[in-house]
Amino acid sequence: MRAVYDWLLRLYPDDYRRRFGEEMGLVFEQAQSERANQGPGVLTAFYCREIAGLFRGAWQEHLREFSNRRFAMRTQFRFPKTTPILMALILAGVVLAIQKGAAIQASLPDVNPPVGPIHQAEHGFLPVIVLLLAPFYAAGLIGWVILFALRRSGSHRLDATASGQR
Amino acid sequence: METLPLTEPVLLILLSLAEEPRHGYSILKDVEQMSDGRVCLSTGTLYGALRRLLEDDWIQRVEQKDTSRGKQAYRLTARGRRNLQFEVDRMKQLTRLANLRVAAKEA
Repeated sequence: MRAVYDWLLRLYPDDYRRRFGEEMGLVFEQAQSERANQGPGVLTAFYCREIAGLFRGAWQEHLREFSNRRFAMRTQFRFPKTTPILMALILAGVVLAIQKGAAIQASLPDVNPPVGPIHQAEHGFLPVIVLLLAPFYAAGLIGWVILFALRRSGSHRLDATASGQR
Repeated sequence: METLPLTEPVLLILLSLAEEPRHGYSILKDVEQMSDGRVCLSTGTLYGALRRLLEDDWIQRVEQKDTSRGKQAYRLTARGRRNLQFEVDRMKQLTRLANLRVAAKEA
């Protein structure tokens, strides 16, 4: 029965098994030898309790390990400490720009300036090319910003962590 | 972290260790004896509780050079003893209150 018990211990996470597995097996053997003298009914009840206890314990330990791992991943993805300062500076800049715009609008006379006849613009070859390539430039810029932000968040270290655990 | 009020198995494990350091099997036997055979812990339940108590620094492993790894003993820490005392005091107060209420109802 010890072999079955040891096999069921594999249900537990590796760390837990390394820490308590041998000790648990020894305690199980001691308890089993005592129950063996008390009749088959007592021994059967003991086995049922042990197996149920192992399943429940393994489930709880895996849940605990999962929640710990999830928490650890969150810390890897946290923002750098400078982020709140940068965000505050950007917000202050936006607020100042809005206020400045409102002040300029208030200083101008409330009349519509005369607008002359609008002529159709004649595009050359170069502006057309630039306009065609503009979405690609924008996509490249956005990609670079995302990569920069990910590098700042430290997510590139996750690969090293995962390979280190293996 | 273990929080008050404690579950009965955890309370019995702490009470078992309050007297002296014990090994896993000794704790199992003592818990069964203290509860008159009502609480029979499985090894899975016992070591799940011991792992949490170790993690919360309520108990600690006793350093023993001459014993094998399988015969590891545990003892209460100062924090564990203090929390056990809180729990016992809480239960005393509850028992006193319960006795008063029951006695008043019977009268």
